[in-house]
Amino acid sequence: MRIESAAAYDELRRRAREEAAAHRQEILVCCGTGCLANGSMRVAEAFSKELQARGLTAEVGTFTKRTGCHGFCQRGPLVVIQPAGVLYTQVKPKDVPEICEKTVAGGTVIPRLLYKNPADKKRVEHYAEVPFYANQTRVAMRNIGKIDPTDITDAVAHDAWAGLVKAMLEMTPEQVIGEIERSGLRGRGGAGFVTARKWRACRNAEGERKFVVCNGDEGDPGAFKDRSIMEGDPHSVLEGIVIGAWAVGAHEGYIYVRDEYPLAVVNLTVAIEQARARGFLGKNILGTGFDFDVTISRGGGAFVCGESSALMRSLEGKVGEPRQKYVHATDKGLFDRPTVLNNVETWADVGAILLHGADWFAGMGTEKSKGAKAFSLVGKVKNTGLIELPMGMTLRDIVYGIGGGIIDDRPFKAVQTGGPSGGCVPEALLDLPVDYERLTEAGSMMGSGGMIVMDDRTCMVDVARYFLSFLIEESCGKCVPCREGLKQMLVIYDDLVAGRGKPGDIERIETLAAGMQLGSLCELGKSAPNPVLSTLRYFRSEYEAHIFARACPAGMCRDLTAYEIVPELCNGCHLCFKACPADAITGETKKVHTIHQEKCISCGACYDVCPTAGAVRFFPKNGAREREAV
Amino acid sequence: MVTLTIDGRVAKVPAGATVLDAARAIGVRIPTLCQHEALEPWGGCRLCLVDVTKKEWRGWQKMVVSCMFPAEDGLAVATATERVVATRKVVLDLLLARCPDTPLVQRLAHEHGIERTSYQPNPEPTDCVLCGLCTRVCDSIGVSAIATVDRGAGKEVAPPFHQPPPDCIGCLACAEVCPTDCIPYQTSDSARSIWGKTFTMVRCPHCGRAHITREQAAFYAGRGGVPESYFETCDACKRTQMAKTFTSLSAVR
Amino acid sequence: MNGRTCVDTAPLDEILTRYPASEAALIQVLQDVHRAYHYLPCDVLVKVAEALEVPLAKVFSVGTFYKAFSLVPQGRTIVRVCTGTACHIRGADRLIEEFERELKIKPGETTADMGFTVKTVNCVGACAMAPVVIVGETYHGGAEPAKVAKYIAEKEADHEN
Repeated sequence: MRIESAAAYDELRRRAREEAAAHRQEILVCCGTGCLANGSMRVAEAFSKELQARGLTAEVGTFTKRTGCHGFCQRGPLVVIQPAGVLYTQVKPKDVPEICEKTVAGGTVIPRLLYKNPADKKRVEHYAEVPFYANQTRVAMRNIGKIDPTDITDAVAHDAWAGLVKAMLEMTPEQVIGEIERSGLRGRGGAGFVTARKWRACRNAEGERKFVVCNGDEGDPGAFKDRSIMEGDPHSVLEGIVIGAWAVGAHEGYIYVRDEYPLAVVNLTVAIEQARARGFLGKNILGTGFDFDVTISRGGGAFVCGESSALMRSLEGKVGEPRQKYVHATDKGLFDRPTVLNNVETWADVGAILLHGADWFAGMGTEKSKGAKAFSLVGKVKNTGLIELPMGMTLRDIVYGIGGGIIDDRPFKAVQTGGPSGGCVPEALLDLPVDYERLTEAGSMMGSGGMIVMDDRTCMVDVARYFLSFLIEESCGKCVPCREGLKQMLVIYDDLVAGRGKPGDIERIETLAAGMQLGSLCELGKSAPNPVLSTLRYFRSEYEAHIFARACPAGMCRDLTAYEIVPELCNGCHLCFKACPADAITGETKKVHTIHQEKCISCGACYDVCPTAGAVRFFPKNGAREREAV
Repeated sequence: MVTLTIDGRVAKVPAGATVLDAARAIGVRIPTLCQHEALEPWGGCRLCLVDVTKKEWRGWQKMVVSCMFPAEDGLAVATATERVVATRKVVLDLLLARCPDTPLVQRLAHEHGIERTSYQPNPEPTDCVLCGLCTRVCDSIGVSAIATVDRGAGKEVAPPFHQPPPDCIGCLACAEVCPTDCIPYQTSDSARSIWGKTFTMVRCPHCGRAHITREQAAFYAGRGGVPESYFETCDACKRTQMAKTFTSLSAVR
Repeated sequence: MNGRTCVDTAPLDEILTRYPASEAALIQVLQDVHRAYHYLPCDVLVKVAEALEVPLAKVFSVGTFYKAFSLVPQGRTIVRVCTGTACHIRGADRLIEEFERELKIKPGETTADMGFTVKTVNCVGACAMAPVVIVGETYHGGAEPAKVAKYIAEKEADHEN
């Protein structure tokens, strides 16, 4: 049935909710990429079979709901049983009969499957009480984990497409842009450009043929929020795109999805077909006479295509080289036509803003950064996964509150945000409220929402080098400062981590970084020195240690680090022996072990597995290289 | 017309001109490598960076490439601010590392006080500065026989599969537009070769000079709807013929 | 180059029916070609250029620019070791070394029997389970160097079936 009026939509939603309410219970099995990798599909299948066998299908519906990412990937596969709100973590197919018997049929919880809060070692029964979830506010991710992403009816039961109905049937395009403007929505892809300003410029641009584009080329290593949104709630993305297209007067749209995200392509394709059938997309949308359709384009694998002008070249079938933007894309973008390009998360916010109003959205966040923002919280933190929080929450609350602190309670060193264009924020700034301005002031940036927590075992020189080696593969090579500058910067860093650093290297890095920042053509090159400059700004002493003492304080640079076992502390557990990839450790169980330096490759595997504090220690290598350099 | 200042001097240029056009119109020199008057500006070499500002920007300056930034009324351009010079020096220093033996790069670097690169010189020196002029001129002719291959540090200009390019017509435009003369070719009365492909020359039926390849004549004829024979006559002989025609016409009068 | 082909072009003909003959379809066509042939055979690229009316040099340029494409044949199973930031700081380099040791090839290379190609990828978006290795279609979260031999053996068993 095609929807052509607000009443028809309300009726569809009422029936969808009724249908959902008929199931007295719902079993939500997370089928996001993380949980799938941990075998959640087998868990979902086991539930379907078991419920049938026990005659419980009337109770919970024929199918167990396979949802998008619940976010708490670390503890996957995740299963939530509603309406009780019981969260079971790390569920295996063999746990399913017991869950069906005790929880679904019996209404009791199974303590061993509950999440154990590492802070107080207590089991937490309810989904909403787990600290990881309790402190979140979800806008773009509002329906992820609740709906079956391949079922539009289920999405509608959760208000999907209600924002479009309101926008197109009750408002003018100008009013829609005004609403987005008042909400304070800014680009969620990283730069934070005011969304409404783009839309208005495109609406006012001359020309009949206009485009809207969704940037799903989430390339920042350590970020996967766009992936989870496209996989877990493709309708929120599509709804935003259609609203945007209608507001600016575009009839054609593209969703550019990273090639590494096959499930996102599948779920978006299904959602597009279902939306067309309902009249939310395609010809004569909602019976208004407005036509708009969208095409999915799979990216070719190039980080630079996250840059809007390069992305548009790629959509045109060309090499993804950015263009100098003295003319805005809103005047001359894709195929040289006026184009609005927004990030997946930005589009996903739009429908919710229209539905709940600008004031609701603007009521969250800080003075200049409104609403909530999705992040992937990863790295050396206890609770890793996908989160969405109001802007302005402090890093401390995120890392220690939601993240539960550092793995093994090691010392915190830094949080990396903004990917290769961002920087590392040190411990001294842990109370920094996270918004666009503050992160930029701290020498980092919002970027696409990767938040990588680092502990004392992370070498900041190595981190900067890591991003350089990432970028050198990803630079398009068009302009000199980026192409040649990255090459030369990496030469300097290769020397630093190998103990060949020289006095004056830090100054050379700074001169080159300034040249790249000012001279490069696009944001990739301009921001490429950020990881370098932010680590220099906050961790200069680590650089100096590498250059002058030929030592890596974190013990991560292999050419500078040696490991040994302290005989008095070794209890002969034999774990290091098993972990050593180079057969450099000898020793028998319950006897003292020894590392043979001539075989040791300084990988640190022994240090990481050793359960006894201090039994494996590292120290600067005083090899021939140092004497040679002197 | 728009009026702007460049290093304090007033320039008046037609609307649509770039800052670089305006600078050249009044004799202010800005170095360039990837710019060519016959081609669309590209903005890859970054040598022509300048600072621009306007009164209403209240002291805020923006660094732009002059080959692309449009000349506007009231724009104040500074071609040699401290940061422009510093950035240009970094760019030239990097280029000199890439092309340590290339005379043009050496000269530009020397003009900016750089005699030796402060970076690691390219272990495999090249003369190609990757200015993209060759591929762009080939595109603008409509041939597109060569293009850039790979990306980033490994980027180079090459024909498809590094084999003699099937689409090449042997016009030599790429070699002629190359600022460092790094595209080798041979040409004689009988044959021409470039990019590993050999072409047969067409001789002018009047003077016998070999001036065009068979593929060139065919390509031009196909594009212009003019018979191939029109292109077989060399430009000099065409002029002579035209002169003769005019002479005979005036004799008639 | 002259239309003589040594690969089966039937899959290509089918792919070309899915897209309009325009440059804008080039990357999508190459994606499908890569899925069908597991690399971009040069004969096929020549035909793609003809069919889409895109100069061959542009096709080659695009084919070499994007990381999703390979111009040399790939192994039956692609091993992708994620080197995203989260995986990097949780020891992705040790995993790469272990694959090098086990398969005796470096990242980007293919084993002599065409069984495996090892690649590094800049983040597969499964950072919460870092470090991640994907063998064929199977994700291994929290991957350990000591289990690399097992990951390979599992897949080799598949190859034999």
